[in-house]
Amino acid sequence: MSFDFNRLVLREMPDGIVITDPAGIVVHWTAGAEQLFGFSSDEAVGRSLNDIIVPPDRIDEENRILQETINNGVCYYESLRLTKGGSLVYVDISSKAIHDTLGQLEYILFSKKDVTHLKAMRDAKLLDAKFRDLLESMPDSIIMVNMTGRIVLANSQAEKLFGYAPGALRGQLIEILLPERFRGGHVAHRSYYFGAPRTREMGAGLELYGLRRDGTEFPVEISLSPLATEEGTMTMSAIRDLGQRRRAEKKFRGLLESAPDAIVIVDQAGEIVLVNSQTERLFGYPREELLGKKVEILVPPRYGAVHPQYRDGFFKNARTRPMGAGLELFGVRRDGSEFPVEISLSPLETEEGLLVSSAIRDISERKRIERSLHEKNIELEAASLAKDRFLASMSHELRTPLNAIIGFTGTLLMKLPGPLTADQDKQLRTIQSSARHLLSLINDLLDLARIESGKVELIPEPVVCQEVIRELTETLGTLADKKRLWFKVNLPPEDIVVLTDRRSLRQILINLINNAIKFTDEGGVLISLCERIADGASHVEISVTDTGVGIKPNEQAKLFQAFSQLDSTSTRRFEGTGLGLYLSQKLAELIGGKLSMQSEFGKGSTFALVLDATHPLRMCKETQP
Amino acid sequence: MRRRILIIEDNFANMELMEYLLRAFEYEVSAAVDGIAGIELALTTVPDLIICDVHLPKMDGYEIVRRLKEAQALRNVPVIAVTALAMVGDQEKVLNAGFDGYIGKPIDPESFVGQIARFMRNGPTLKKAAGPAHNTDAESDRRS
Repeated sequence: MSFDFNRLVLREMPDGIVITDPAGIVVHWTAGAEQLFGFSSDEAVGRSLNDIIVPPDRIDEENRILQETINNGVCYYESLRLTKGGSLVYVDISSKAIHDTLGQLEYILFSKKDVTHLKAMRDAKLLDAKFRDLLESMPDSIIMVNMTGRIVLANSQAEKLFGYAPGALRGQLIEILLPERFRGGHVAHRSYYFGAPRTREMGAGLELYGLRRDGTEFPVEISLSPLATEEGTMTMSAIRDLGQRRRAEKKFRGLLESAPDAIVIVDQAGEIVLVNSQTERLFGYPREELLGKKVEILVPPRYGAVHPQYRDGFFKNARTRPMGAGLELFGVRRDGSEFPVEISLSPLETEEGLLVSSAIRDISERKRIERSLHEKNIELEAASLAKDRFLASMSHELRTPLNAIIGFTGTLLMKLPGPLTADQDKQLRTIQSSARHLLSLINDLLDLARIESGKVELIPEPVVCQEVIRELTETLGTLADKKRLWFKVNLPPEDIVVLTDRRSLRQILINLINNAIKFTDEGGVLISLCERIADGASHVEISVTDTGVGIKPNEQAKLFQAFSQLDSTSTRRFEGTGLGLYLSQKLAELIGGKLSMQSEFGKGSTFALVLDATHPLRMCKETQP
Repeated sequence: MRRRILIIEDNFANMELMEYLLRAFEYEVSAAVDGIAGIELALTTVPDLIICDVHLPKMDGYEIVRRLKEAQALRNVPVIAVTALAMVGDQEKVLNAGFDGYIGKPIDPESFVGQIARFMRNGPTLKKAAGPAHNTDAESDRRS
């Protein structure tokens, strides 16, 4: 029975039992050993332990142990062993020398127990005490792995990144943080790395991915460095999640490329996360040179020192706004040249946190246009001023000689120097009327110039139409009296008030009434005022009707044009400047009114000014220069 | 006693016209062709009224009226601007500068002396203005 138990132990023992000859050639290899090292009994038997499971750098150690076993009969030790897969395992080994009956060394028996996990936990404990504080203070996710690929230390950044509870990664194979498809290759990679450890980027140029506990993958960037400790060489890896950058890129790429501006997206650390091709063109950098760099690379050096502060300020109170409103901003190209820019900032809420998107526009061209427009404006202002001055001095210079002409003609006609003959009187009156005509021309031309250059100042105020008409009829009525014409005014009893420019209204009415008297020799002039409601709007109409010469239908159309004096067959006198009605109509338009005319040749005419009483103020304002 | 009027005017023809008109109506007229001479004359003779152009050599009418008004002796003497400055706003500008009255050129010879007489009666405090001749004159023809 005892024989059966011995067999059972050999077959089922979880530890690996290996028997070699004195030279270290395997003669027996149990199922436990198969389990532990991955080699089957057929593969192992007949080969040297040094060839299959002893790492090359441990062969000397192995030989020493073998010697000790032979010398002392037994030896207990812990060491690293290779598996068939290439990974290292920590094993607790007891060896015993077996002698034949003659006392000759016949076999060596090894019992090998896998303590990889225990070792990792032990290392973890030691390293935790030593390095935890340091690693927690680092911004990156840091994972420390021992030679067996077991995680001995992961800072909380790493735990969070991969979605593990605190401490849950300790003792785990590093491969659990890798997507399944990369695991096999990784074991070989890390064994290889332990063979020649040095600081480097992992898988430079390759797309690397991490695997979260929940099974999701994310792109990573990893840098490796060896760390020599009492417990052997550890590998320290700093892992950076590229997901933020990549995801942001994917999400915004299309949008960004379609924007006309250069767009630079920056994270809270001020690092550029994303740029569009407009940015590459504008600043002259290829994309790769910008990603991950501080955004200050695009800012002229003289602002570089203060910019991070502004940046922090923005993140603290992030809202869409123009950057440095009112300031002159500049960008700097890769070649160091600067150019004026306009920048608008907007916060960008993402799953990975707050980013800021800045739209940057090169405004060199606009600045240039602004400058030239500004210069143009100054020129135009100067020209307008020169024109005003010219008009003012023209007015002054023309009036001065007219003063003497009209004045002395007057003194002569007043017979102050002495009596006049009939011919003298007649000729002096011709001089007088010509001089006055000239004066009217000057006045009308100046008025016209003012209207056309938008210089008429309109002051809308409530004006009682009756008041204005009464006032005018007092002064103008005497002219009608002189010509023995009747002069009637037909005003409604209730005040009609319009909001308008009093001066313009007066000027229009003076023109109309003057004309009516001037061109009427028999009969008289009627001025009437009424208010009409049409289409829901109230209109005030002031009309001047005369019984004068009237205007032929074919001439009526020309009436409101400048210098379209009616010909002598329709008027007996035409002393007008040819500008009166034209001016009146322009003024009527300015105050939001309209001039209309009805006439029958030989019987008389009616000229009417129609004002919109419903919205006169608005209309006045609209027409103000 | 005849009323005395001082005219400060640099244009010979206009001076002659105003002198002639006023003398024809029995005023005593003295004349100065610039502000310096005019102010001196005003201070020595203290006229009953001063007619003053605005565009003048050496010193313009605004400065003249300021200095005239500063003189204690001339405090009650009306100063009337007779000027060819007849653009919109000129009249207000003239009156704001301290003139007691405004008459635009060309003057209306028939009413000019009457206007001056009225300013003299009203004294320097009442600001009255008479527009250029055409404004009060209905002869101005506006039919095209």
